[in-house]
Amino acid sequence: MRKVLPLLLLASPALADEPVTPQFAKETTGLATPYMGDWQYMVGGGAAVFDCDADARPDVFIAGGEGPAGLYRNLSEPGGTLKFAPVEGVSETGVTGAYPLDIDSDGVTDLAVLRVGENHLMRGLGDCRFENANAAWGFDGGDAWSTAFAATWETGAAWPTLAVGNYIDRKEEAFPWGSCTDNWLHRPADKGFAPPLPLKPSFCALSMLFTDWANNGTRDLRVSNDREYYKGGQEQLWHMEAEPRLWTDKEGWKRLRIWGMGIAARDLDANGFNEYFLTSMADNKLQVLVPPKDQTLPQYADQAFKRGATAHRPFTGGDLRPSTAWHAQFEDVNNDGLADVFVVKGNVSKMPDFAQKDPNNLMLQRADGTFLEVAETAGALSFANGRGGAVADFNADGKLDLLVVNRREAPEIWRNVSEGLGGFVSVRLSQAGANRDAIGAWVELRSEAGLQRREITVGGGHMSGQLVSWHFGIGTADSAEVRVIWPDGQASDWVAAQPGEAITLKR
Amino acid sequence: MATLPAALAPRPAFAAERRAEQVLGQWYKLLLELIRHTATYSPPVAARSFAYLGITAFEAQATGTPALRSLAGQVAGLTALPARDAAPHDEACVLQGALSHAIAAHFGNTGPTGQRAMQAMEKRLSEVAMAGVGQDVADRSLAHGIAVSQAILDWSASDGGAVIENMGFPYEYTLTEGPGHWVPTNTTAVQQHPLLPTWGQNRTFAIPMTGGCGLPPALEYSEDPASAFYAEAKTVYDISKSLTDEQKVIARFWSDDPMLSPTPPGHWVSIMLQIFDRDATPVDRQAEVLAMLGMAVSDGFVQCWRSKFEYDLLRPITYIRRVIDPNWEPLLNTPPFPEYPSGHSTQSGAAAGVLEAFYGPDFAFEDATHEDDGIAPRPFAGFAEAAEEAAISRLYGGIHFPSANKNGLEQGRCIASHILELKTRA
Repeated sequence: MRKVLPLLLLASPALADEPVTPQFAKETTGLATPYMGDWQYMVGGGAAVFDCDADARPDVFIAGGEGPAGLYRNLSEPGGTLKFAPVEGVSETGVTGAYPLDIDSDGVTDLAVLRVGENHLMRGLGDCRFENANAAWGFDGGDAWSTAFAATWETGAAWPTLAVGNYIDRKEEAFPWGSCTDNWLHRPADKGFAPPLPLKPSFCALSMLFTDWANNGTRDLRVSNDREYYKGGQEQLWHMEAEPRLWTDKEGWKRLRIWGMGIAARDLDANGFNEYFLTSMADNKLQVLVPPKDQTLPQYADQAFKRGATAHRPFTGGDLRPSTAWHAQFEDVNNDGLADVFVVKGNVSKMPDFAQKDPNNLMLQRADGTFLEVAETAGALSFANGRGGAVADFNADGKLDLLVVNRREAPEIWRNVSEGLGGFVSVRLSQAGANRDAIGAWVELRSEAGLQRREITVGGGHMSGQLVSWHFGIGTADSAEVRVIWPDGQASDWVAAQPGEAITLKR
Repeated sequence: MATLPAALAPRPAFAAERRAEQVLGQWYKLLLELIRHTATYSPPVAARSFAYLGITAFEAQATGTPALRSLAGQVAGLTALPARDAAPHDEACVLQGALSHAIAAHFGNTGPTGQRAMQAMEKRLSEVAMAGVGQDVADRSLAHGIAVSQAILDWSASDGGAVIENMGFPYEYTLTEGPGHWVPTNTTAVQQHPLLPTWGQNRTFAIPMTGGCGLPPALEYSEDPASAFYAEAKTVYDISKSLTDEQKVIARFWSDDPMLSPTPPGHWVSIMLQIFDRDATPVDRQAEVLAMLGMAVSDGFVQCWRSKFEYDLLRPITYIRRVIDPNWEPLLNTPPFPEYPSGHSTQSGAAAGVLEAFYGPDFAFEDATHEDDGIAPRPFAGFAEAAEEAAISRLYGGIHFPSANKNGLEQGRCIASHILELKTRA
């Protein structure tokens, strides 16, 4: 077998202060929904993680593709093994992904379900019961191959604006390339939604995110597109104006054309601007804002190579072919105060030029901003054919667990069984009126380890979303302070937080 | 609604008669998409497939068309192809058998969408080819086409270019030491090694394996502002700072990036497919031109790669950032392999040289290759003009020094002269 010098060595710093590697144990939890189907389900396979029965434990909805989707109630005891039980009564099929959010601001989380066919807005009724609310909310679910979603509350709006990304015209057989169908913007109207506004041009979106990239209180729509199918396309950033319009090269937007599959966002260095991790094939991007002097323009440098985060081919298993990356998420899995990145991988479908044994990546962030791959040594190695996923604390022990949705195989879940990790604080947001979960807010935490910032969003990843308590590792700090900058820009006071404390910031 | 000129108006009966042209044209239209959407198909690899597929289409007809002369015994390593038996054959069905078989073999590694598209095309064109043809004739013809295709696949397997790993980037590679040599120019991890460094060792079709169409040496590396090398780099730099809109259009028109276009050789094939449609070119002529064009661009890339790795010259972005302006950005993305000569220039020179032999020097056409990508068609007075524009586009794009474009074109013309020694007509 050939041996290849890992390119990561080029980016490795001194090894003296390597991050603590967390330990994971794969568990059999009752999650049993594989992501099934052939061509129309080669992308997708998302998971929605949220509390549907008000017991403060995140439950899980898993896309089943051609098979039935699965809703699972979380029965895990605090600190205990992970257990889930299927919830009867949700019989969605054709599902590619899902995102939780409280659409009607009634305090019960709803679910946006993306499908091959009509998309569904499922109104939460409590106790993990849902009903299709398309008609009640005037939501036109369309008939497309939907593959991306994001939501925001535009200024003054009582209802969210929903962005739906759509993929290829699935009726095209011999010449599907260049047949990307329109993405849709569902804006509020009365107590529901207006007819969808097509976002032209559309380039086969596989991830979307409303994000305050400029840190100026404005949330634009970032769209990651699959270059396999568009013609004349590129990555996109939309000004969210009355008539949405694209950021152009004259405004500083730099053309990037990748097999865009997932977006993860986090302000890794707390400088006020998000970094974005974009998944693709054979290459992933870690974008850092590098605007011209005295200007805030959407110009990014790719630092994945420099910081050892390319994850471009399997790091173990002997398959040297390039990787295929889907879901990505920044979270601090070792509670050292630095966001790490989890990347879910899997071959599209027996593509021989790409790795078949393509393990998911768990890359720990070092203090100098570079990354260290630890999935194998952390006990989270998998060669299953991954798609969507989630990093979340399923058993309320302050240590983040890993969930992966697999194509044609059951989901996998790893419990974080680490001993002696640093402390943590979890933060939940709640506000009266519309947008009860304060989507679009920034949460800041400061401790002796420094400042951390995270934007609260609905969207991104690979057709996988979460609405949970937001997790911050704080390392060895014996105290911390948190505050929220609400979506309208109003900042709360700093609130003291003790290690292990779950704080709810309200207004 | 505008009225089509009479010459372009649909002619159903005429279309029905042109079953073979439909088979060839539709497979080639799909071929351009498969080239674009299959990860191993960098420009040299694409050129190789265009050569073998063109030869397949040509030989499938040559076995039953006395006016055509087989390339067997003329191109390196190709021996006599399966003969037809005496019973009747249908040319459309022969082509359908040959191309459906050959394209499936060349693109066995494409993704699920490409596989689905090939299956749909096979079904669709089988119906076209077999319309009005007796089942026994159709079966016999399809089988003969497959036999010809298989023979050519067997021949192709030993040329050195049949297996592509890691999208063409070697897992291990040692960079040449010295300031004048190629170094990686981007931060894409797999592109830290150059594309296909041994491609120049592949078997060629018509040019000699050694000493065929070599180049004058690259300019001697120097950072002295008075040197010729510095002057070339300064030319690239200065032009980049004063690009006109037209020059930017030209750079992008011929950019032909792999995975985002049919690649440079596919651009030339696309031009010919448009001309075939426009002029209702007979299928035997189409196959003849596609075979010669394919061999020209394929040998062009092999010879070009020999030169690239012989001289192993650094790219403008490396030199200019080192010596002139550390913040310089070229208009186009710099390809991940050595600079000298320009591959697009070499293969465009070869393509134009061959096509001029068929059509003459003043054969005007409009090129709408990138219309689907939102790039407007461009008119050309002849193939040489198009090739020269392709070459200069690399200067406008900031990815080649002037010598690489000029000498690349010249190298291409040399390659064309070898290709044109092949006889395709009895």
